[in-house]
Amino acid sequence: MKNLFLVLLILIGINAAYSQSKNPDEILKRVTETFEMIKDYEVDVLINVNVKFLKMPDRKAKIFYKQPDKIFVESEGFALLPKQGLNFSPLTFLQTAHTALIDRVEELNRINTTVIKVIPIGNKSDIILSTLWIDESRNLIMKIESSTKPDGSIVIEFQYSKIDDNFYLPSTIVFTFDVDKVYFPTGITGEMNSESEKKDKKNDIAKQGKVTITYSNYKVNQGLSDELFKKESPN
Amino acid sequence: MILTLIRIELLKIFRKWRTYIGFIAIGILVPVIHTAMYYEGQESLDFMTRNLQQSFVFVGNLLNGYFISYIILNALTIHIPFLITLVAGDLLAGEATAGTYRILLTRPVSRFQVVSSKFLTGIIYTNLLVLWLAVMSLGVGLLLFGIGELIVIRSDTIIILDKSDVIWRFMLAYGFATLGMSVVCSLAFLFSSLVENAIGPIISTMAVIIVFIIISALDIDVFKSIQPYLFVNYILNWREFFNDPLDFPRIVESVSILLAHLVLFFGTAVYIFKKKDILS
Amino acid sequence: MEEKVIEVINLTKVFREVKAVEGLNLNVNRGDVFGFLGPNGAGKSTTIRMLVSLIAPQEGSIKILGRSLNQNKREISGRVGAIVEKPDFYNYLSAYKNLEILGRISGKSISKKRIIDTLELVGLAARFNSKVKTYSHGMKQRLGIAQALLHDPELIILDEPTTGLDPQGLKEIRDLIIHLSKTEGKTIFLSSHILSEVELVANRMIIINKGKTIVEGNVSELLNSSNVKVTFEVDNVEEAKKVLETTRWSVKIRTFSDKEIIFELDSDEIAELNKYFVESGVSVKAIIPSRSLEDYFLKITSGTE
Repeated sequence: MKNLFLVLLILIGINAAYSQSKNPDEILKRVTETFEMIKDYEVDVLINVNVKFLKMPDRKAKIFYKQPDKIFVESEGFALLPKQGLNFSPLTFLQTAHTALIDRVEELNRINTTVIKVIPIGNKSDIILSTLWIDESRNLIMKIESSTKPDGSIVIEFQYSKIDDNFYLPSTIVFTFDVDKVYFPTGITGEMNSESEKKDKKNDIAKQGKVTITYSNYKVNQGLSDELFKKESPN
Repeated sequence: MILTLIRIELLKIFRKWRTYIGFIAIGILVPVIHTAMYYEGQESLDFMTRNLQQSFVFVGNLLNGYFISYIILNALTIHIPFLITLVAGDLLAGEATAGTYRILLTRPVSRFQVVSSKFLTGIIYTNLLVLWLAVMSLGVGLLLFGIGELIVIRSDTIIILDKSDVIWRFMLAYGFATLGMSVVCSLAFLFSSLVENAIGPIISTMAVIIVFIIISALDIDVFKSIQPYLFVNYILNWREFFNDPLDFPRIVESVSILLAHLVLFFGTAVYIFKKKDILS
Repeated sequence: MEEKVIEVINLTKVFREVKAVEGLNLNVNRGDVFGFLGPNGAGKSTTIRMLVSLIAPQEGSIKILGRSLNQNKREISGRVGAIVEKPDFYNYLSAYKNLEILGRISGKSISKKRIIDTLELVGLAARFNSKVKTYSHGMKQRLGIAQALLHDPELIILDEPTTGLDPQGLKEIRDLIIHLSKTEGKTIFLSSHILSEVELVANRMIIINKGKTIVEGNVSELLNSSNVKVTFEVDNVEEAKKVLETTRWSVKIRTFSDKEIIFELDSDEIAELNKYFVESGVSVKAIIPSRSLEDYFLKITSGTE
């Protein structure tokens, strides 16, 4: 009996100590530092768009990145990329003033993650609240859920692969977001509604879109020049 | 004998200035649209896709020859019928105005041969005009603006077609447009068999088309029951070739209905012409 | 028995309750130059349009060259040439081109030489390449005749072929008709308002009015069966009148002036009256009979005979 009580005390103590030593800002700092090791990269992407009102084949593109927030996308043809996710970089994200709180620990796709809530301070950001699932063993963000002012919520899920035996970079990113706020222009076409189109309008299925980007052929820290990013980039 | 008559009819129509109006009009209008697109096209495209661009970043250029050809096909589905009626409405009525039935029908040719050869001439003209449209809009458009993905904005979907997936659709769409315009030709031809002046058929055919389009566009219950019977609906279904996936039943239905209209209008014109007293 | 080239039986055509042609019968024999006469609105054009299948009769039958028109239209058309009313052509094409087009659908092979020869026949060879819109009315008339003759038809139907022609032109067409009839053995169906012209060329005729037959027969027989207007030019009209006073001749006086007296006489009475004048001492300077189809025609159509 006495032994059991002691074990319990020790466990509580360990837990308390553990909780107290878990500083959300420190966790985020480690994530940032891990990411800072990547000065630049060039990667081939395959973009799959799965949005109810949008039909397009998988598109290929090339993404160039340079710290802290330079992005350039090159595509032989036309390609669509989700606006929010594209510009996402932990560096910029976490450098704006914010408050971070550890919410819980959760197993996500068989990886233990620490769930941290980040609330930006001030009105500068569109983001109201973000929830991050952090894999502390590799200092990687596994999932982000953000609520944004104009466009509703967005969920970004990451899968990583090891590049050059050194860096963890995303192999797949899946963006899931609300699309029911997108309106349709009649534009120049002046379409007359077909029967099937009219039926769909009446069905108020909650519209969520999904974009999956698959990354391959990373070339990391090649020393990309700034000139590359001055090229006319779309929007 | 019908081939001879068709050759004669083609000679006659291509010696008339009104036949060239359609070709000239397209020859002017399409470059004008190209020019406008060159300067304003990107803005229009941005405007059309502005909501989409709130959530997405666009990479690459959607302003290409395919997009502009698609726009032109839309804009001209009212204008081309008018150009068709200019010639089709004159095929029978013009002969009456000129008084030349008296030298034509006193020859050893049957009325059926005469009316068929004139009708087929009208169809040939229609085909040539649509072909010219294709060459001017797609041919010249691709030269000026290049190839790229085609964005098709329908009433509740946006379709982006890969550049390798577009040209066959245009071929079929132009083919379908030819059928649609042939129906317009046959209606003008029918009206032409009833009167002795080409103005009547031209105006009445356009009036029918415009009224039917208005009825089709209005979301009123009374009109909805009539809408499936209006041939203009089916003419505009060339757009179905830019759907993904293709709605085959709908396409087959449209083709069948248009063919049925064509046969009906032509058949009626034959009947009228055969029975008609030639008083001109 | 002469071959009937045109046989019309009980032909009737009604336009909106107006009978344009009613119970018309006529026969044209091979080799005839047949005059088809009637005042304006009599139904001539309507009849001709029925003969060439431009309009369909309500009742009656038409046989051309021994065949029913209704059932053999195409075959018959190849053997008939016709001008119907004012000749209209494809004005934006030349005369040659017009004839070439018509030649291609005439059921026979029409050579370039044939076209030129036909144009020469009607006096248009010099202007064969000009667009028809540059042609005068008279030239179009000639071209109309040319298109009717182009395929060497057996029967030629001419509706007012001399309208708009000058006296020289009239003579040329008249000579052409006589040549076609006498030398080439064509049968000619000729409708006209210029009655004096018909009188000079036709051997048989029909006069219609208000869609109905008034009279049909041999031109010379029809002319001789009725009275002739004869002008006697005399030195002294008063003296002549005195001489006639108590005779049966006085009722035959129609009009007189200070130089002449106009009588209406049978053709055999002319010599008799002349003899009487001579015996009575009246000096007759000239005798001018003016009985013609024209007078007859006017008489017929006004209902006084």
